[in-house]
Amino acid sequence: MTKLQAKNIVKHFDHNGNSVTALDGINLNVEEGDFVCIVGPSGCGKSTFLNIVAGLETPDSGEILLNGKPISTPGPDRTMVFQEGALFPWLKVIDNIEFGLKITGIPQDERREISQRYLDMMQLTKFADSYTYQLSTGMKQRVAIARALAMDPEILLMDEPFAALDSQTRDLLLVELQLIWERTKKTIIFVTHNISESVILGNKVEIFKNRPSKIKKEIIIDYRRPRLAEDENLQKYYHQILDELKSEVIAQTKDELQ
Amino acid sequence: MIKDIQLKKSHRNLDDAANAALFIAIFTGIWQIIFMLGIWPIISLPSPVMVAETFAKIIWNGSLPQSIGITLGRLLGAFAISITLGTLIGFTMIKFKGFGKTLNSFSAGLLSFPSIAWVPFSILFIGFNEFGIMFVVIMSSIFSIMISTYSSIRNIPTIYLDAARNMGAKGFSLFRHVTIPAATPSLIIGLRQAWSFAWHAIIGAEILMSIVGLGHILSVGREFLDMSQVIASMVTIFVIGLLVDRFLLYKMEDRIRRKWGLDHHR
Repeated sequence: MTKLQAKNIVKHFDHNGNSVTALDGINLNVEEGDFVCIVGPSGCGKSTFLNIVAGLETPDSGEILLNGKPISTPGPDRTMVFQEGALFPWLKVIDNIEFGLKITGIPQDERREISQRYLDMMQLTKFADSYTYQLSTGMKQRVAIARALAMDPEILLMDEPFAALDSQTRDLLLVELQLIWERTKKTIIFVTHNISESVILGNKVEIFKNRPSKIKKEIIIDYRRPRLAEDENLQKYYHQILDELKSEVIAQTKDELQ
Repeated sequence: MIKDIQLKKSHRNLDDAANAALFIAIFTGIWQIIFMLGIWPIISLPSPVMVAETFAKIIWNGSLPQSIGITLGRLLGAFAISITLGTLIGFTMIKFKGFGKTLNSFSAGLLSFPSIAWVPFSILFIGFNEFGIMFVVIMSSIFSIMISTYSSIRNIPTIYLDAARNMGAKGFSLFRHVTIPAATPSLIIGLRQAWSFAWHAIIGAEILMSIVGLGHILSVGREFLDMSQVIASMVTIFVIGLLVDRFLLYKMEDRIRRKWGLDHHR
């Protein structure tokens, strides 16, 4: 079943008085339970696309359908894990996780039960009463993932959530995220500029073309899980994507130097 | 371990107190020496002991406690009004962008406008009474509250608002659960600043407009050529200003900074 459909999404930005086309007709179908990775050169508009799916930005034309219904505003059915975590420093870890539940009016007992479950899943139980500054970057991203999952969204959006992590922490979370995905059967859209991340995580990898952005190619990765970063069999997918991206990065550098 | 930390903390407090006591002792010592050199006549520079005697006298006859009570009463009343109105206007500035921008662009003039300059206006507009004095205090502190409310809210990182909206917060729930807490550390800094403006203003207004209060006993000291009363009043004003800032506003700020981990720069 198609979970999410992006139809011909176009978005322009105003840059020093010139209109720049960030997204030039993005079409994408995400099936229920898909793990879709969007990979592309930095500044190619992949985060903009994710923000549009989240409803935080509006497209100039085109529409997003969730379960066949058009959406235009942000909503807890599409929770996002941001690059910097975006946790609230005035709340304890547990209250951060319960934030969305509280906003949507879920009673306290039920909130506690849900937050306990995700604290447990993300191995954060010991840190429930900590404030966010007491956590490492990796811990913060765990909290952010727990917070997004606690809302039990239709679709989980992840915007380069591991970009700021050291490689050991990242490798660990890459495995954990796959396990969580298998356990919760969530539909996930994961944006990254890191090719290995996309190969390890995605069962579909969408390669974004440089501005004006379009989907250049979709690569299906049908390979056993959990996939590990050091798995050599993933190399061929890695190179396939790298080849596609190389010309984009070169084009982008040219653009920037002009 | 917690005990260790507490011990360390009480040690630090003791050290601070010792330093302060040493500073006061040296200051008083120098004052005493200058007094004994006799450069100034006694009427212009009394000795520390004479000031202490005056202190005892005005505490004993009740004029100092009464003045402190009256001044703080006026100040708290006016400051409460200032906070309430200032915050509301600050929110309005956020809501109506053009209004906010315009008012904010006058902010430098509004913030640095000398409080004493409101006195003649207040006397003619309101009168030579309690409300006149409170008006001066309000006008001197309200802009600081307004501008700080406005800029604190505007400077909230977009990412917090995005994250909250993403989880379904909007309208009042967004305001209450994100806007206000996210702006709090900066709001408290504004509050401290406003408090110091209000404190300047009340003393100035009382010197010129009042027949009671701390500013008034200061001015009475001058009229009766009683320098020890002038100094005793000044010391009182200094101590109250210090106590309120250190033990109330700074404590509040410190608590929030600690909770947020703002002092944990790595």
